Amino acid sequence: MPGTVLENLSGRKLSVLVTVLLLSQLACFLVGLISPSPASSQPILATVCVDKNPSADSMDRWFARTCPHRIELSNVAATEQLKSNNLVFAMEMPQHMNDFSRWQQNLAGVLQFDVVYTEGGKLINTMIELTLDARLAYSDKLADGGQTPWTYYKHSKAKRYMDCHFDEHHNMKDKVGYPYSCTMVPLFELGSLYHDYYLLNLRIIYDERLNLNTHLGKVDDIYLHIIHMNGGFTKVWVSMKTVFFPLIIGVMIWFWNRVHLLARTPALLEYMLIYLGSALVFLNFPVEYFTLFFDMPYMLLLTDIRQGVFYAMLLSFWLVFTGEHMLIQESGDRNSLKKYWKHLSSIVIGCVSLLVFDLCERGIHLVNPFHSIWVTPIGTNLALTFVICAGLSVGVYFIFLCYMIWRVFKNISVKKSILPSMTQARRLHYEGIMYRFTFLMAATLVCAGITVVSFIFNQYTQGEHKWDDSMDIEWTSVIHTGVYGMWNVYICALLMLYAPSHKQWPSEPLSEEVEFSRLSSDTTATPNEISSLTSFVAKANIE
Amino acid sequence: MGRHYVGASVWTATVVWMTMWQLTQADWWQLGFPATLSTILNLTPTAHKERCMKMDFFVDKQKELCAKYDKILPIIGNGAKLAIEECQTQFAYTRWNCTTFAEKNNTFGNVATIKSREAAYLNAISAASMAYAVTRACTKGELSEWCSCDNKIRQRKPTKWKWGACSDDIRYGEKFSKEFLDVREDQNTALGLMNLHNNEAGRRAVRSRMQRTCKCHGVSGSCSMQICWRRLPTLRKVAEGLYKRYEGASHVKYVERRRKKLKVISPDFKKPNRTDLVYLEDSPDYCEKNETLNILGTRGRVCNLTSQGIDGCPLLCCGRGYQTRVKDVEEKCQCAFVWCCNVVCNTCRSRKEEHVCN
Repeated sequence: MPGTVLENLSGRKLSVLVTVLLLSQLACFLVGLISPSPASSQPILATVCVDKNPSADSMDRWFARTCPHRIELSNVAATEQLKSNNLVFAMEMPQHMNDFSRWQQNLAGVLQFDVVYTEGGKLINTMIELTLDARLAYSDKLADGGQTPWTYYKHSKAKRYMDCHFDEHHNMKDKVGYPYSCTMVPLFELGSLYHDYYLLNLRIIYDERLNLNTHLGKVDDIYLHIIHMNGGFTKVWVSMKTVFFPLIIGVMIWFWNRVHLLARTPALLEYMLIYLGSALVFLNFPVEYFTLFFDMPYMLLLTDIRQGVFYAMLLSFWLVFTGEHMLIQESGDRNSLKKYWKHLSSIVIGCVSLLVFDLCERGIHLVNPFHSIWVTPIGTNLALTFVICAGLSVGVYFIFLCYMIWRVFKNISVKKSILPSMTQARRLHYEGIMYRFTFLMAATLVCAGITVVSFIFNQYTQGEHKWDDSMDIEWTSVIHTGVYGMWNVYICALLMLYAPSHKQWPSEPLSEEVEFSRLSSDTTATPNEISSLTSFVAKANIE
Repeated sequence: MGRHYVGASVWTATVVWMTMWQLTQADWWQLGFPATLSTILNLTPTAHKERCMKMDFFVDKQKELCAKYDKILPIIGNGAKLAIEECQTQFAYTRWNCTTFAEKNNTFGNVATIKSREAAYLNAISAASMAYAVTRACTKGELSEWCSCDNKIRQRKPTKWKWGACSDDIRYGEKFSKEFLDVREDQNTALGLMNLHNNEAGRRAVRSRMQRTCKCHGVSGSCSMQICWRRLPTLRKVAEGLYKRYEGASHVKYVERRRKKLKVISPDFKKPNRTDLVYLEDSPDYCEKNETLNILGTRGRVCNLTSQGIDGCPLLCCGRGYQTRVKDVEEKCQCAFVWCCNVVCNTCRSRKEEHVCN
C-alpha cells in the first residue's frame, strides 16, 4: 500500500533533504544580513512660506522650499503682522537633492509639532483638534537634471487630534518658551512611489466661528517624518520571491503528478496542501516588478490581502492537518471541508473583519491618502470592533487547535502502549512513522513559535523604549527574510514529504498476514486515507 | 550729485571696514549678535568664501570648513545666537547672568577667561547649540552637501540613499560641532582638555534627550513591521539639562603622567563621567562690580523675597540687603493665544512690590 514520502524515505535520504532545507533556511537568514533595514525615515523641517495673497488660493499655486518670502516662527518680530491663512508650510520630499526611486515602494508622512508655551497658552486641556489643509504635488526628474513643474496630486482637509502636555519643572521661573510634549500626527500614506519628487503644502487656518484650530498653541517648528521602504530591502525581498516563486510551482506540479499517479481521488489533506501551495505562490508572485513601470497605488492593499490569504490558508491547513491525524476514523464517509466548518468559521470571521478594516483604511487611501479611520469616534469604534472581532476569532481558533493537538498526542500515547505487543519489524516501522510525525509537528511548532516571537519582538522590544538602534538595523531585516524564507521552506517540505510515495512496503513476515488483511480491507473501505499512519491508527482502533 | 555718491560709498566702505575690524578682534560668539548676523545672511558663494577667510578669530581649520560649504556662515551665526539666548535664559536669575558685551573683544567679557564653571557651561551650550543648529539646517534641507549620506559632491549617483540604511539624525550636527569647535582646543593644555570635555558633554546632552518614536507599518498597519526614529529635543530642554550639570559640575585638576588628563581634585568626590561638566578654577562670587573681569555685580538686580535659592534676596544681594519699591504697574493679563501669531491680552493695573539689591 502506498504511504507518503515521509514514511518511506530512508533515514539517510531524509537527513539529506532536511539538511538541504536547513541550508536554504540559513541562506534566507544570511540574505537578510546583506539587506538594509526594511524601511527608513527622514525628518523634514517645514519651510514657512508667507502667502501674501491668500485669497488668490488655487490648486496650482505651490510653495516650495525656495519660496520668495520665508520666515521663522520663533522670530516673533517677523510674524507679528501675519494671520494664519498667510502661512504655508512647505515640505519637499525627499531631502538633500535626492530623488525617490520606485524601489522605495511607498511613502507615509507623520507630522510632529514643536509647540511651546507662550502667554495665554493653556496648560491643561491639551487635547488639540487640528484641521489641516493638506495638498500634495509631484514632480519628475528631467533628463538634463532639472525637474518638471509641480503638478497637483491629492488634496484634503484632514482632521487630526494631538495630545500635548506640559511638564512643570521646579527650577523654571518663566514658562514662556518651554516646550510641550506632543504626540505625533499621522498625515498621509501613499501606496505607490511613482514620481521622483513630492511636495506637501500645509495650511492651518484659524477660524473662531467654525472652531477651527482654536486650541493650537504657539508652534515653533513643524517636522514631517517621511517613511519609505528601503530600495535595497525591496531588491532583496523581490529576489527572494523570484527564487521561491518558480521553485514552489515546480514542487506543486511534482506533488500533483504524484497524486494523480494513484488510482484514487485526492484526499482532503492533499487538496489542502495544494491550496496552501497556491496561497504561497500568490504571495510569492513578484508583483513588485510591475511597480517599477506602472503607478499602482493599490500595492499596500494588495500586499495586505496576499498576506491575509496566506495566513488564513496556513491556519486552516493546521486545523485540517491535526483533524486528519486525530487517529479516529469514521469508516466509510469521505472527509471533506464540511466536517471542519465549525473550526474554520473562526478563521473566516477573523479574516473578513480584518479585510473590512483594511478596506476602510487602505481602501479609502486609494482615493484620499489623508484619510484615517481613527479620527472620528464612530470610525474608531468601528475599527476597534473589527480588530477585536479578528482578535477574538484568532483566540477561539487557537483554543480549538490546541485542544485538537492535545487529543492527537493523547491518542498517540495510548497507541504507543500497545506497541510492545507487536512483532519487532512492525513496531520499528510504526515507531519510525510516529517519530517522523512528531518531528514534523515539532517543526510546525518551531515555525509558528519563531513567527510569534519575532512578531512580539518587533512590537515590544524594538518599540519606543529601546534606545540603542545602531545594532538592530540588520536584525529587523534578518528576521523578516528569515521568517519569510522559513514559511517557504516549511511548505516546500510539507509538499515534498506528504506527497504519496511510489515505493511499496517491503514484504512482511508471514505471521503478520492476518493483521494485514484486516488493514488492507480497511484501506480499501476508506480510500481517502493518505498515510499509513492513519491506517495504522484505524487498525489500532479496531483492535 | 557725483561727489555725493562718492562720499556715500566712501562712508559705506568705512563702515564695512570698521565692522570687519571689529570682527577680526572678536571671538566667534560675535556672529550671534543680530547686527553681525544680518551681515552674513544671503551672501553669494564667492562673498561667503571671502568672508570665511577673513574671519580672523577662526583658526585655519575653521576657515577651511567654513569656506567649503557655502551656506554655513549664517548657520554658525545662528548656533552662536542660540547659545547666547539659552545661556541668558538659564542664568537669568543667578548672580552671573550671562552678560554679553557687543562692543568688546570677548563676547562674555574677561570673566569667561577664568576656567570656571561658567566657562564650562558656555562651552557646553555652544557645542550643543552648534550641533542643534546644524541638525536643524540639515532637516530643513539647507546644507545638502554636508548632511546627505552620499556626501561626496562629485559622486553623481546617490547609491547609498537608494539602497537604504541612511539614518540621518544628529550625526551630521554632532560631526560639525566636533570639527568646528574642537579644533580650537589644544589637547596638551589643561584648558584645552577642559574645553574638549565640556564640548563633548554639551553634544551628549543633545543626543541623550532625543526622543525615540515609532510607527507601525506592517500588514493592515499592524506592528509586524515598525520604523523608529529619534526626534531632536528643543534646545531649551538641553540648556536646562546642562544647567543641572553646571550646578553639579566637578572640580578637576590637570595631571601629567603618562597621559595628560584631568582628575577630580579630591578622591572623595565622584569621578566625572563624559556627560558631566568639569572646571579647573573656582568662580569669583560675582557680587561686586569688577571692571577688569567685566563683572557687573548684583547691585540693582531684582530679587525674589520668598525664594531660598540663588534668586532669593539674601543670596543674590550677597548679604548687602535690598530695598523694596512699591510700583503701580500695568500688566498684560488674561491673555489668549490666537494661532498663528497673536497674543490677545487685557491690561490689568496692579500694585506690585519689587525688591532690588543694594
